[in-house]
Amino acid sequence: MFTKKPKPATAFSTAAGNRFSNKAMPSSTGADRLSSTTPESSTTSFLLRFLHHPNRRHVHFVHTNETSYDAVQDSGKMPGVTSNSGDSSLSIVPHFSDSQTPRIYPLRYHGLIPPLARVSISWARGSTLRVSLIQSDAISEKQPGGEVVEVKLTNMEGGEITEAQWRRIAYGSVTPFALLQSQKNLMDSSHYSKDWWEHVMEYSKEINSLLGNLKSSGNLVIEDPKAVLKKEEEPTSLKAAWELMEIFYADKQSETCIPERLLDWLADYDCLFSQTQPTVHAKLVDFQRELVTLQVVENDPKYWEAMSSALAVGWLDIVVKLLHLHGSYQFDQLGNRETENGLVEAVAVLISKMPRMRPDLPAEKLGECYQTKPEFMKAWEKWRAQITKLDCSAFWLQCDHHQTREGLKNMLQIMLGNTSILSNVTYHWIELFISHFLYIRPFTVGLENMCNLAQKCMHLKPISNHHKLMGLIIGILEENTEVVLAECSRSFGPWMITHALELLTAGSTQAEILLHEEQSKLGGINIEELHRLVYAQVLSSHALTWNIAPIYLTSCMKQGMGLLENLLYRQPVQNHQVLLKSIEICRLNELDIVSSNMMKISGVRNWKHGQKGSAVFWLQQAQDEVRLNRIAKQLFDFVGKSVSDESFKQWEGLIELLGTESKTAGGLKFLNIYRDFRRSLLQVHGGTTSDAAQKAVESLVSLMKNPSTPQRFWLPLLYDSLKLLNWQEHPLLNVSQTHLLLNKLQELSMARLRPDFTNVDLPPEALNSVRLALANNLGRAILEE
Amino acid sequence: MDKTILILDKGTTCTAWNYSGQRLAAGSTDGTIAIYDSTDPASSIFNCTARFKVQESSILKVVWVPPEYGDAVACISADGTLSLWEEVAQDADVLLWKLCICFERNTSQVLDIQFGDSHTCLKLVAAYSDGQVKIYEVLDPLELEKWQLQAEFQNVIDLVSKFGNASCSAASISWNPQRGELQQSSFVLGFTSSVPLLNSSKVWEFDQDHQRWLPVAELALPEDKSDQVFAVAWAPNIGRPYELIAVATQKGIAIWHVGSNPDSNGRLLTEKVAVLSGHDGEVWQMEWDMSGMTLASTGSDGVVKLWQSNLNGVWHEQAILAPSS
Repeated sequence: MFTKKPKPATAFSTAAGNRFSNKAMPSSTGADRLSSTTPESSTTSFLLRFLHHPNRRHVHFVHTNETSYDAVQDSGKMPGVTSNSGDSSLSIVPHFSDSQTPRIYPLRYHGLIPPLARVSISWARGSTLRVSLIQSDAISEKQPGGEVVEVKLTNMEGGEITEAQWRRIAYGSVTPFALLQSQKNLMDSSHYSKDWWEHVMEYSKEINSLLGNLKSSGNLVIEDPKAVLKKEEEPTSLKAAWELMEIFYADKQSETCIPERLLDWLADYDCLFSQTQPTVHAKLVDFQRELVTLQVVENDPKYWEAMSSALAVGWLDIVVKLLHLHGSYQFDQLGNRETENGLVEAVAVLISKMPRMRPDLPAEKLGECYQTKPEFMKAWEKWRAQITKLDCSAFWLQCDHHQTREGLKNMLQIMLGNTSILSNVTYHWIELFISHFLYIRPFTVGLENMCNLAQKCMHLKPISNHHKLMGLIIGILEENTEVVLAECSRSFGPWMITHALELLTAGSTQAEILLHEEQSKLGGINIEELHRLVYAQVLSSHALTWNIAPIYLTSCMKQGMGLLENLLYRQPVQNHQVLLKSIEICRLNELDIVSSNMMKISGVRNWKHGQKGSAVFWLQQAQDEVRLNRIAKQLFDFVGKSVSDESFKQWEGLIELLGTESKTAGGLKFLNIYRDFRRSLLQVHGGTTSDAAQKAVESLVSLMKNPSTPQRFWLPLLYDSLKLLNWQEHPLLNVSQTHLLLNKLQELSMARLRPDFTNVDLPPEALNSVRLALANNLGRAILEE
Repeated sequence: MDKTILILDKGTTCTAWNYSGQRLAAGSTDGTIAIYDSTDPASSIFNCTARFKVQESSILKVVWVPPEYGDAVACISADGTLSLWEEVAQDADVLLWKLCICFERNTSQVLDIQFGDSHTCLKLVAAYSDGQVKIYEVLDPLELEKWQLQAEFQNVIDLVSKFGNASCSAASISWNPQRGELQQSSFVLGFTSSVPLLNSSKVWEFDQDHQRWLPVAELALPEDKSDQVFAVAWAPNIGRPYELIAVATQKGIAIWHVGSNPDSNGRLLTEKVAVLSGHDGEVWQMEWDMSGMTLASTGSDGVVKLWQSNLNGVWHEQAILAPSS
């Protein structure tokens, strides 16, 4: 319904002091629009991920000041700005001299005395910076040498939302986000525009439900009129902001009834504005408090004021409930106040019959719904005629109760759309804005019209203290995507901007183009990815949330995988859980090199820490042949040592672990056969079984055949086998085997003449005794064959 | 937002975090190194788990060895020596820090060191006070005791020039943080010295075919070539078509774009995209975050500054972190 054509940003500056208003940009492509933005505004729009202070109100404070600064620049006069920052944990000091001047944040240290000798920095995971503050040496003995301060540059934790709640939201939003991404990937482009918004709406509803469950009736239900206001879950600005985005961008079905949705929205969130300035909600809360003590409500002007205000913003159920408290309803009064009661009831009926252009209403809400414009118009005319008729009725003359007469008449004027009365009974511009939709311009459609109306309302009700939601509303109405982006990211943080972009791109082609355009000046990344990367960095700053960062990173085509690799490289692999989780993430994303690197780190660490078994295991997992071969070489040193050596047990297990996988090099093959040989040999030495002896001989032969058996081990192996060669019962080696060994011995004798030959630590007669044994064996073998 | 996570010993001169930010090594004036550990990645409680004496003289700089080679640190002492220490299990599985190697030196002192190329063969670049640059390679990936000198050269773009009596007071080295088999080994290096030609930052790349190091780029405009370099920092690259290197001189912090493909002379295309008025006086250190989008710097004005580029490619100072009690 409402067109999303780019249009010049309109000047809200006088009323709202909007900082972007002086950067009005003519309609053009996204690139032009961006380049015409001053560095300052795009800074705030896109890269202002820093220093979202835990206390949200604080961020708000900065905003207020900056806004006022620009307002000063725009209008040349200082608007009355009140600061609502009471928190002192971080005093943000914006510099006014130059809008590009960075903010200064204090870095608190405790036991040190300035000046500091040195400050050194190191980035930890995510957007965490660790600063070492090192004390000058000259300071007294008692002082510590320095301290390390950890600074979380983007913080999820906000004043209105605790850290644990944030984590719940972060974890809860992963599934809807991932689902939407996969739907997007499946979506063929022709279907894209048609029913895409339905998926987005589903996503939006799921995310919204994470942000707390408000009853749609808001917290203004006056159930039992004399009872204290029902205490419900405090709404958050975050939820309010999310719903705004949903109303304007995602919900295509209710495009025609945006005013009605805004009305509901205000009913839920008007209380947020009460914190800083008078609102209808605050007025009702006040009156509720007094109501308990009032005997005759209709005599109290506040009763009538409260009702007028509630009526103006369309909280019809509350008005009707309050009307029913009117004294004329009491049984003892009915007789002499009949006319008066009749008038009260007539107004109550008119209010509850108010035509509403919306598909349906929650049960407790009043009014009559109409779906189509003609039906609604017809009903509206009829309803207005009834009001006019009542207004001109003669019964008023018979009503003796002055306050009742005036109060009711005033309410009729509200319903008839009397501008000045509407302005009197509302407080915040947005309340006036809503009352205009209800009673003056019920057919307002299109953002341009809404924007003009909002401008008018702001002019009538200038506000001294900006709520962060105001910036967002203004941006939306102005159709200024950059402002919407800036407000989302600055006021509501990286979580909000990352997830709300899905709504924005679904609802606005202009936004979609802007967000998906490659930013060549920033390495070709697009804005959507940029925000996801920033959010992923925030997630990875915390040990409890880092493992959901990959979901967001893998949704970034261009730079996500690069950042994911860097994130994984920084995981502490000495923690077993972290290691397993990281390997799993690598497996899912086909990052084999990264996972084998982590296994390698773990293997080397285990090796150095004496856990040789797990070291070999991890190095094998990493397929790190270089290191495995180094380990195999270390094991070689045991070869040729006495069979009774205790260390056999030690390395036996390692060889077992090293295995005989074809991928690992020849050295390991040798070690395996050697281990079998040693085992059989041990058995031979223990008891004399021919079986074991036969096995030992087989191993010996295969060792001698194996080209990877180092030459320096030949003689020790043969020398160790003397007992086998001289086997009493029968020769263990056949003729050809004996020839093989003799040949090897011959080769060895030749090699001894070469200069590079390494002499092994064996008795000098070793070679001869082996030769003798082999000759002996050969003779017996020939006889046997 | 800010939180003190550990208190350092008296006399601490320098600190270094390991790859995962779970261990801190702190050197001090009496020549000892203290190791602080956090066992659980979720906690930020750090305890001192080891203390060992390296030298009699003060420790100037500590650098962790890449984790693929174990838990080890290299330290530069005030007397100019460079030694490598490693945490290993002794008998009965007690972990001890032992000396792996003390690098030989002549009269010159070691000014800066950095490890690189950890995926293939660990290399160590050391810059010396006589203007020499030495590159050592580890021989056995499981033993940090044995190193061999792979190359030795001076930081000049024209390979023929030699300066015999250079005297340098500081140097800064930064490896290209990119991992991967295909990546050429490269690093950037700048000096503060008496010989102007040695000063400017140069990008050195290992030429695999000829097995030698070649200067492939000089990060200084013709008029700035003799400027002394305080610090260099090579940014992680998660997908940019160009590399990003920050160079700090007395004229400020310069941000350079360095292209990836060499021209016919073997030189890389370079473009100085920003000069930021850094810290009043010397810049002590510069570090890029893991996305390579934010640069943090410290200097003699005692504050930490954060720098970023906006979407128009305009670099600006994003925030200042000012220590205060």
